[in-house]
Amino acid sequence: MASACAWSVALVGLEGRIVEVEADIGAGLPRTLLVGLPDSALYQARDRCKAAVSNSGQEWPISLLTINLSPATLPKAGSHYDLAIVAAILAAQGTFRADELRRTVLLGELGLDGRVRPIRGVLPATLAAQQAGFTRMIVPLRQAGEAKLVAGIDVFGIASITQLVAFLQGEPMPVVDPIEVMGDPVSRHAKRCLDLADVVGQVEAKWACEVAAAGRHHMLFHGPPGVGKTMLAERVPGLLPDLVLHDALEVSAVHSLAGFNLADELITRPPYSDPHHSASVASIVGGGQRMARPGAISCAHKGVLFLDEAPEFQPAVIDALRTPLESGVITLGRSEVHARFPARFQLILAANPCPCGQAATPGAHCRCSPTVVRRYAEKISGPVRDRIDINQAFLPLRKTYLKKATLQRSESSTAVAIRVLEARDRQRRRLAGSGWQTNGEVSGTYLRRHLPLPDGLQAVDEAVDRGRLSARGVDKVLRLAWTVADLAGRDRPGRDELAVALAMRRGEQPGTVRREVG
Amino acid sequence: MPGTESKKQVGVRGQDLACAGLERQGWQVLERNWPRRLGEIDIVAWEVGESGLTLVFCEVKCRSGLCIEHPLEAITFAKMRTLRQLAASWMRVHHLKASAIRLDAIGVVLVPGQGPSLTHVGAVG
Repeated sequence: MASACAWSVALVGLEGRIVEVEADIGAGLPRTLLVGLPDSALYQARDRCKAAVSNSGQEWPISLLTINLSPATLPKAGSHYDLAIVAAILAAQGTFRADELRRTVLLGELGLDGRVRPIRGVLPATLAAQQAGFTRMIVPLRQAGEAKLVAGIDVFGIASITQLVAFLQGEPMPVVDPIEVMGDPVSRHAKRCLDLADVVGQVEAKWACEVAAAGRHHMLFHGPPGVGKTMLAERVPGLLPDLVLHDALEVSAVHSLAGFNLADELITRPPYSDPHHSASVASIVGGGQRMARPGAISCAHKGVLFLDEAPEFQPAVIDALRTPLESGVITLGRSEVHARFPARFQLILAANPCPCGQAATPGAHCRCSPTVVRRYAEKISGPVRDRIDINQAFLPLRKTYLKKATLQRSESSTAVAIRVLEARDRQRRRLAGSGWQTNGEVSGTYLRRHLPLPDGLQAVDEAVDRGRLSARGVDKVLRLAWTVADLAGRDRPGRDELAVALAMRRGEQPGTVRREVG
Repeated sequence: MPGTESKKQVGVRGQDLACAGLERQGWQVLERNWPRRLGEIDIVAWEVGESGLTLVFCEVKCRSGLCIEHPLEAITFAKMRTLRQLAASWMRVHHLKASAIRLDAIGVVLVPGQGPSLTHVGAVG
């Protein structure tokens, strides 16, 4: 009898694909069919939409209603198709002209009373719509600000079906109380004002943080409890420069998909993610049954991922980080689709040297047997340790030093951040055209072929010969040497920078030192 | 039980309305509520059309009050299968010849304070 179509977006990872929602009102006993590989949340859209339409004073067709989501082979999940489904049905019934839905993408979940609820992933969906050539977005009123972050597409926020109908009929929109959602995802990115000056002592570790921030290097902190490992790690994001527009869009899109409310502005500061050590592999790398959701590593994209008490994590969780650490993306295979999420994070691991925490601490008494100490250290596997650039040991502060240090205030985060920014500028100029921006990301080949090699490489060769440094380790040392030189304002690393880099890379690794020598 | 009684009354009223509606269109109602062990045929009627007579077996569903579910949605596939079987046995019992046979469904919505609304869907099974 009549049919019409509306448009929506399916999100596979961060990539949005346009979905055509067709509604056909045909002859037969009244029934509503929903086809096109919906998941259960989407299948229930039939019941949600029906109640919402009836409660908004609109007619639900009393005949055979077929709703098709095309492409039919792409599995679709989630509740955000509700609005497009209703729009297609109302257009097929002639409530408004079907032309009104051309070049318009609709997103939104419906309440039974006809109000439009917020959804996940408005930002990446809007980006996809804009890239596909659509000119208009209709989104939940509360999320119009988020969609408006995308340039080049008109965004309209609506609060209910009544408003949708009025809007598409070209009439003034009636006022509706905006929906109050309990447990609404709140922005987690309230400005953290953590200052490096709050950490007493640990000058060497602070400098390691500065180097790591400047070159995006991975770090492992180890030392007894209570020396400031966590405090320092929390302050690393504060040393990083603001995200550039492209990165800010990508980071915001991941967070939107993960269900954080962006509160009408892009995330411009590097994110910080510190999952608890009871976390599962799926929560860290991303997971979900049919459709994958971003995990902690993607939420730390272009920011810092801090794993406190790293040996307490399941070994499988830490080992799952190996591939994303190298590639900067995570690809999750699911039954029907592969989802790709960006995961270029800076890793900071913190560990105690042994279960009691006192091993290798001068003046302290460790109660653990050597086997226990070794087992504890081995929980962070060799391949993961090999991907760490900076091994930083923390020593407890002496009482007298503590007294002195409390009196004189140490350098603030702002001062360090300025040096980091200068070092980043130097890197960006040097790496212009290569596709990389920081030393930590540059490939080994580029490092050795296109950039001058530092003097005094014998020290590195010697370490390789003795089996203390892997081939990857050599690249890590070279990258660190470049960052140290960038921070010092030198054009290229020399013998000194290389020595510093080698020492930072090797660090003191309790439990593994002995084996490396042997 | 008063509840059951009123439900039955609603059904009867719905059928009365449906029959009246069919007769207004010139249909001839042959039989109402033809009971069998399987179930019941609500209405058997001749439709007088341009191309001749058609024997129509009708299932009537009636709902009172405002609810989201339309009465016709309560007619399931199993119900239609039963109606087909009942139609066949009605033909056997009555030795009636018809050039065309059809199964229809009629939904009646009774809203207090408003006139009844009838939805007639042809050839449903």
